[in-house]
Amino acid sequence: MNIRIKLALALALAGVVALVGALTSSASHRATPYKVAFIYVGPHNDGGWSQAHEQGRLYVQKALGSKVQTTYKENIAVGAQFAQTVQSLVAQGYKLIFATSYGYLTKAFVAKYPDVLFEQATGTDQTKNLAEYFGRAEDTVFLSGMAAGAASKTGKIGYVVPFPIPEVIRHANAFALGAQLMHPGATVSLVWTNSWFDPAKEKKAAQSLVTAGADVVGQNVDSPAAGQYSESAKIPWVGYDSDAKKFAPKSWLTASVYNWGPYYLKRVKAAMNDTWKTGFYYGTIKDGFTKLAPYGPGVTAATKAKIAAYQRKLVNGSFYEFQGPLYDQSGKLRVKKGVKMDILTGGTNSLYGMNWLVKGVIGSAKG
Amino acid sequence: MRFTFERRLRQPGWLSLAVPVASVLFAFFVAGIVLLATGHNPLSTYRQLFDAAFLQTGSLNQTLIVATPLAFTGLAAAAAFRMKLFNIGAEGQMYIGAITGAAAGLYLGGNGGSSAFVIAAMVVMGCLGGTAWALIPGVLRAFCKTNEILTSLLLNYVAGLLLTYLIFQSQSYWRETKGFNASVFPTGKELPPSAVWPGWTIHVQGGITLPLGAGFAVAAAVVLWVLYKRTRFGFEAQVLGDSDRAARYSGVRVRRKILAVMALSGAIAGLGGASQVGDFAHSVDGDPNGLQKLGYGYTGIVIAALARYNPYAVVLVAFLMGGLENAGNTLQGANFPAGLVGVIQGIILFSALGGEVLIRHRVRIVRTKRGVAATEPGPAA
Repeated sequence: MNIRIKLALALALAGVVALVGALTSSASHRATPYKVAFIYVGPHNDGGWSQAHEQGRLYVQKALGSKVQTTYKENIAVGAQFAQTVQSLVAQGYKLIFATSYGYLTKAFVAKYPDVLFEQATGTDQTKNLAEYFGRAEDTVFLSGMAAGAASKTGKIGYVVPFPIPEVIRHANAFALGAQLMHPGATVSLVWTNSWFDPAKEKKAAQSLVTAGADVVGQNVDSPAAGQYSESAKIPWVGYDSDAKKFAPKSWLTASVYNWGPYYLKRVKAAMNDTWKTGFYYGTIKDGFTKLAPYGPGVTAATKAKIAAYQRKLVNGSFYEFQGPLYDQSGKLRVKKGVKMDILTGGTNSLYGMNWLVKGVIGSAKG
Repeated sequence: MRFTFERRLRQPGWLSLAVPVASVLFAFFVAGIVLLATGHNPLSTYRQLFDAAFLQTGSLNQTLIVATPLAFTGLAAAAAFRMKLFNIGAEGQMYIGAITGAAAGLYLGGNGGSSAFVIAAMVVMGCLGGTAWALIPGVLRAFCKTNEILTSLLLNYVAGLLLTYLIFQSQSYWRETKGFNASVFPTGKELPPSAVWPGWTIHVQGGITLPLGAGFAVAAAVVLWVLYKRTRFGFEAQVLGDSDRAARYSGVRVRRKILAVMALSGAIAGLGGASQVGDFAHSVDGDPNGLQKLGYGYTGIVIAALARYNPYAVVLVAFLMGGLENAGNTLQGANFPAGLVGVIQGIILFSALGGEVLIRHRVRIVRTKRGVAATEPGPAA
């Protein structure tokens, strides 16, 4: 009987939907707009990383109107689910796919779709149909670290971090260097969540940092959960990715935020004109790619002025947070005086290879 | 007036067809109301759902990718639940199977073993890994009477953390440590070609690849069916499930049976893990946003329940469920919230499961007089 039930269930599913399918005609093909898809690691309205990309998508859609059709896929897991999502997007005629998280794409994967263009945020692999893009968030994270350092009375700052990988490590380092500039000797304690987006864990991480004595909380994770906790604990908070002031109006200091829209627009236009080429884009403050979000009530005029001065120096090149001398946690000199870290070259002394934490950061670079 | 559920003494054959059909129709009707209320055309949505699951170019291929691990976890659950041994740990046993299976593939494949030998070793190691993990709650249950639901469930989290640790937080054997990419983002070491499981490609719909793992899943279903229908072992296990005491009095060695069934269930889940590595990922996926986010082990429990623990039905339901999950991803997007996809999937599953009750029970409307009802003891429905 069991088999019969299941067979019947299958037949029912098949029959009903086939019937429904027969009754409705498939959409007719008109002059189709250029189709662009965005794949998000979290919800499109996560209040952080994915939301910033979603704003970029909307920017493209608004600028190009009916000439493009954009969509997104949210909460897509790395691996099988990502592969399935791409497959169905390609079947629906999507020609350009922005995968907004590292780990989604490999050279072997994009080779299976030679007629589709791929772009991946935060990665390094390039092939003729795979480009990479990201930006100098470390500069703005450094500036947001200055706001955190200035707001701290005890010099104990907490930082909620996702994965022990170079991207996150350099942001944590930049944050600590900024904080120490305003509050000499300040320490930054890390708590790893092992997830880009996990509001419950992020909240717990913030809670444990505050319990351990942190009087300012910062983060490199995607949701505003740490901010909501900070608001309830009356602790100043530095966000990341998106302007999340509305989640913690009193605690909000600022955040390093991304403006993906102009880059997306440029690339979509290039793809539409057949001038798209692979590349490695690393946006800057000057490009308008990264910036500081509007300040909250806790940032003093003096701090704002000092941050503005450093922002000018970062833009004109007279200052760079990852210029030696830089010391690691044990006090060992890692980058010699005057040496500037490069993005890709220099092994563990490059932005994309950094696997050590600067002096004053409390926690392990291994997670 | 009130409703009562009565157990059916006879279960007419037509019911087993009518109830699922009605359940699914009911689900589409209810989901249709939700869709209309949210401004979507139900008919075109269902069409899209079906296209994305089974008809579109490449869709069957993708459905098989999801269905294969679900068949393993479904069978793992069915094997244990049949004896009322509630192994909720297929999720974790699958991770461990992936780890041990990958170890065999990386080591033997890297040392130039022939493909058939390497794959056989991966299968055995995957099964052993899953078995070992399942035997922890198995031993605790057999010797300490610890509730296996809790222990097997909690071990899932341990296995997940172990998986992440091996790739993200250590320089383990499973992690790729060479090359620049390896320093940018942690990934698992790629299997050597001889350890990659072959698939059988049918050249329709843009090429449908039947993964080797799907074949193993079907074979496992046959083995389970024979075991439970045709052997003394299976009979004893079912007696034990129905009545612990009756089994004991008739000489069934209970501890041994618990250990054996737990080991069997874990082996199937572990094989699923090895298939995950050999068929699809080709490396250990330690990303918490990867394999661990998909919850195959938990979906397997739902599949086993829908299939009423019948192994063949598990395979079929896994295939349908694979289609449903696959279609959900295709459906969601800027104009169709992911949450709504979840609601529709939920309504379909809920109706299908709920309908099962009506096969074994019937609803009777009982008319009661006021006075009688008031004096009737017990809770009124």
